[in-house]
Amino acid sequence: MKMRSLTRRLIAGVLLAELLCAADFSVVAIAHEMHVRQRAFDIMLRGRADSLLGAVQDADDPEANVTVDQSELILPAEDIYEVLSPTGRLLGESPNADAKVLRALVSSQSQGYFNVRLGRVHYRALRTQGVRVIDRLENGGTRRPVTLIYGAPTQHFFHEVLEAVRFYVLTSVLLLAATGVILAWLLRRWLSPLRELALNASRVSVSSWEFAPTDSALRTRELQPIILSIRQLLAGLREAFERQRRFTGDAAHELKTSIALLKSSLQLLNMGRRSAEQYEEGLSDLTVDVQRMEELTERMLLLARIEEEPIKALDVVDLATTVRSLADRLEPLAKVKQVRISQIADGPYFVSMQVSDADILSSNLLMNAVQHSPERTEITVSLTVRNGITEMRVVDQGDGIPETALPHIFERFYRTDASRSRQSGGTGLGLAICKAIVARSHGSIVVQSAPGRGTQIVVTLPTARG
Amino acid sequence: MRVLIIEDEVRLAANIATALRQGAGLAVDCAHDGSEGAALAEFEHYDLLLLDLMLPSLDGLSIVRRTRARGDRTPILVLTAQDERSHVVTLLNAGADDYLTKPFDLGELIARVKALIRRGKGAAQPLLTVGRLSINAVEQTVRCGGQLVDLSPTEYRILEYLMYRPRAIVSKQELLEHLYDYTWEHHSNVIEAHVSNLRSRLRSAGEEATVETVRGRGYRLEAPEPKL
Repeated sequence: MKMRSLTRRLIAGVLLAELLCAADFSVVAIAHEMHVRQRAFDIMLRGRADSLLGAVQDADDPEANVTVDQSELILPAEDIYEVLSPTGRLLGESPNADAKVLRALVSSQSQGYFNVRLGRVHYRALRTQGVRVIDRLENGGTRRPVTLIYGAPTQHFFHEVLEAVRFYVLTSVLLLAATGVILAWLLRRWLSPLRELALNASRVSVSSWEFAPTDSALRTRELQPIILSIRQLLAGLREAFERQRRFTGDAAHELKTSIALLKSSLQLLNMGRRSAEQYEEGLSDLTVDVQRMEELTERMLLLARIEEEPIKALDVVDLATTVRSLADRLEPLAKVKQVRISQIADGPYFVSMQVSDADILSSNLLMNAVQHSPERTEITVSLTVRNGITEMRVVDQGDGIPETALPHIFERFYRTDASRSRQSGGTGLGLAICKAIVARSHGSIVVQSAPGRGTQIVVTLPTARG
Repeated sequence: MRVLIIEDEVRLAANIATALRQGAGLAVDCAHDGSEGAALAEFEHYDLLLLDLMLPSLDGLSIVRRTRARGDRTPILVLTAQDERSHVVTLLNAGADDYLTKPFDLGELIARVKALIRRGKGAAQPLLTVGRLSINAVEQTVRCGGQLVDLSPTEYRILEYLMYRPRAIVSKQELLEHLYDYTWEHHSNVIEAHVSNLRSRLRSAGEEATVETVRGRGYRLEAPEPKL
């Protein structure tokens, strides 16, 4: 991928704009210059023509020819002129003019100013009419009209225009170069908050979550959205990372404690001589411990899978049937504990979630209730639908949960009373699994409980059309 | 010697307790919850605290800090699942004396517990000698001039406790507090009976050192000055 530089683009943009301006300006300036210089040239031409006319007035008049006294006339040597009679007869001409040039001048019929190319030389010429008074002393003299054609080479004129153009172009180029350098320097300075921000952001790592933008970055308005989003991103990442680290730590603790238990039990059996009964007892204890470790491992993996795997497709599940079949399966356990499971739900209650999720969720909630129910009590499971939301309530008459424990009840490995729930075989993952399932099924789960007044768990899930 | 185990896994705590009772002749109490353990550590008299790092209600590190903040110098051995260096450093800097990562070896645990108790009493090696009398705290044997003296576990424990502080007066209450856990009966006449038995065993082994009764105050291990 080709990298693009903002700085370069900005500089290029500004220079391009400047270049266009300069070109525009140059064209206008050149046009103006041409116009002004042409007018000046024309005025000069007329002036010289008038001088010539004056000279023609004073000239001797041998017959029909006009002989201009060159010594009285101060005209540039390269200029050419002709004096014609109204009939087109050549009365006089400049001394430097050769026949070809003069013929060309005469043959051009243009009136006023005109351009003409004679050989290699460009001329601008003026055809003007004048009146020549002859024999002024005799009865007022005779008035004879003459035509004057006066031309001057334009090479000086174009040379001056070219000089002007060169000046404009040179100035523009110098200006562009100076602007480019200043702009580059300024941009480097002005963009320094961006570079500092990038440096600050690059310093953030797993071991140091410190993100402290410099003052200059904080005071730059355009950087505010970036700073804000970096902060939010970091906060989210940090939280996720901390959660993961806590989970890894907790999981390591649980697993290593389980292994420590197995190892110590085995070593104890090995310390000194034991009777057959003691060995038998030890082995059955070990079997229970291994089963618990198996359950712990399975639940940890289940939780990790539920939390990490995106849900593929939601099924339509009848919660009433799920709960009913679960209650049947739990019947033997409930009988041992003398707990009655009653279900207040007639008819199907369809929700959209994965079938396996519905099974795990219901069995976790019901097993929890059975385990925490004292003997001869009742567990009620009720289902209701309201506004497209299906609600499942699992109510037990157990000891309840202390108020201080309520905010932590869905945390992984959290146990309200360590020793007791360990004995009852809990892994501390049941409710965390429930929460993860409900979250990925777009539902909610809430616990209401008070010590001595039982626990009520309310799960809401989106209703599906059956 | 009396040890407090604070470990939330009940069966593991029970296993450690059994190992320490049988393998090191210690009196052992167990707590399964952080706050309960911290309270016991504060109000009872233990020669060693053995605690898990992750505990419900109050974690191990806090218990270590709290114990040291009180000025309590009881040796502390921490059981931990994490062996990250930073973690261990924090733990030791907070005032723990040693740590053991789970899963541990019971034999190593017993050895470390004994070593820490010994250190806590100011002895570097397991052999304690007063006059001609010597005991080996590792083997839990008593010798009088090289000759093995046969003692019951309780008698041994009383003698070991007194050997750490020869010629100092140890009250009956202190002996009760350090030698018995909650699984034993708490009667001061039990101590009297054991002390009396200990005396006669030492005497029959020809030992000159003896446990004297200081009326109204307690007991004292008295040994004649070694003859030069």
